Amino acid sequence: MMNWPQRIVLLALALGMLGLTLELIRRRRLREEYAVLWVCTGIMILVFVVMPNILFAVAGWLQLDRTVLMTFVCFLFLAAIVLHYSVVISKHSEREKHLAQELALLRDELEKLRAETREAPPAPAEPKPRPPALRT
Amino acid sequence: MESEQTTRPGKTPLSLSGRRALVIVPAYNEAEAIGRTVRDLRRHAPWADVLVVNDGSADDTGEVARAAGAKVVNLPVNLGIGGAVQTGYRYAYGNDYDLVFQFDGDGQHRARRLQELARPILAGEADMIVGSRFLRPRGMTARGSRWAGIKILAAAVSLVTGMRITDPTSGFRGGGRRVIQLFAQMYPQDYPEPESLVLAHKQGFCVREVPATMRRRRGGVSSISPLKGVHYMAKVLLAVLMEALKAPVRPEEEPT
Repeated sequence: MMNWPQRIVLLALALGMLGLTLELIRRRRLREEYAVLWVCTGIMILVFVVMPNILFAVAGWLQLDRTVLMTFVCFLFLAAIVLHYSVVISKHSEREKHLAQELALLRDELEKLRAETREAPPAPAEPKPRPPALRT
Repeated sequence: MESEQTTRPGKTPLSLSGRRALVIVPAYNEAEAIGRTVRDLRRHAPWADVLVVNDGSADDTGEVARAAGAKVVNLPVNLGIGGAVQTGYRYAYGNDYDLVFQFDGDGQHRARRLQELARPILAGEADMIVGSRFLRPRGMTARGSRWAGIKILAAAVSLVTGMRITDPTSGFRGGGRRVIQLFAQMYPQDYPEPESLVLAHKQGFCVREVPATMRRRRGGVSSISPLKGVHYMAKVLLAVLMEALKAPVRPEEEPT
């Protein structure tokens, strides 16, 4: 079984992790879609700290040492998070490629339009000043 | 100077019957060879527009190509061969071309032979045509390890598609409307030539090879050094097999 000091330390760690994740989302430093797995991880740790018997029962049932099972569960979560990142990176590199392609094709269109307007006066009135770029 | 000559109708031996053709030339730091390649295309394939996709070159590839009479699209960053070629397909899709050809910028493909790729597509005999160096025992063929590598890849692509493919790495190829739409939407990134054959096959396209001879390169270096050959082979084989397992692309989706 787990003694009280162990429980308190682990509880503080789990709450700290959840708190940090939520705080990052609140400050818009972390988008929810990427935080889901972190929040899940925090909740799982919390559940195990509050009710360690669940984990011990599973360890007994699988006839595994508790430490081994803990390590394995940790590894699974980290692997899931890393895999999730790979998926996100793949999605982003595909988007980045399409943005670069679209930019190149638009620049080509723009040059064509410029060449056309140069031949066809009169030019339209002074263009409106651009609004300031949005901060992202 | 050749660009005027090319717009004159009636001199083409090939009848496009109103259809428009585009030659995509992906180029990365090819300033040395691109001018001659473009002039070659303008002279020997005047029935097609030439689009050089300048893949973020550090040299003046774009300027040289434009001066030689090509349309030029400049990518702001280097995307690699797959991304550059796909830019061409997206250009073709957006500008309503009916036929698209891929052509290397380094001068190893022969512009005069383009019509041999075009004819089966125009006749509706195939969706995609690949110029193969191995269907006729003459002209430049690859040597030694490269030959073996191409043979292994050919066997792999033939195995997963059930088509007889002899030159899966050939970048000398052409396609019609269906191919343009598919590749504008989805084109493999890293080893696009063999993978795109599998992709086209999965969409149920008819892919055919025709004999083609190729020259030695005029300038620049091959993207595959012999040292990296084995590594390349393993990765391409994996990519081809993975491509065969992927879900087919739903063609009703618009390219985004």
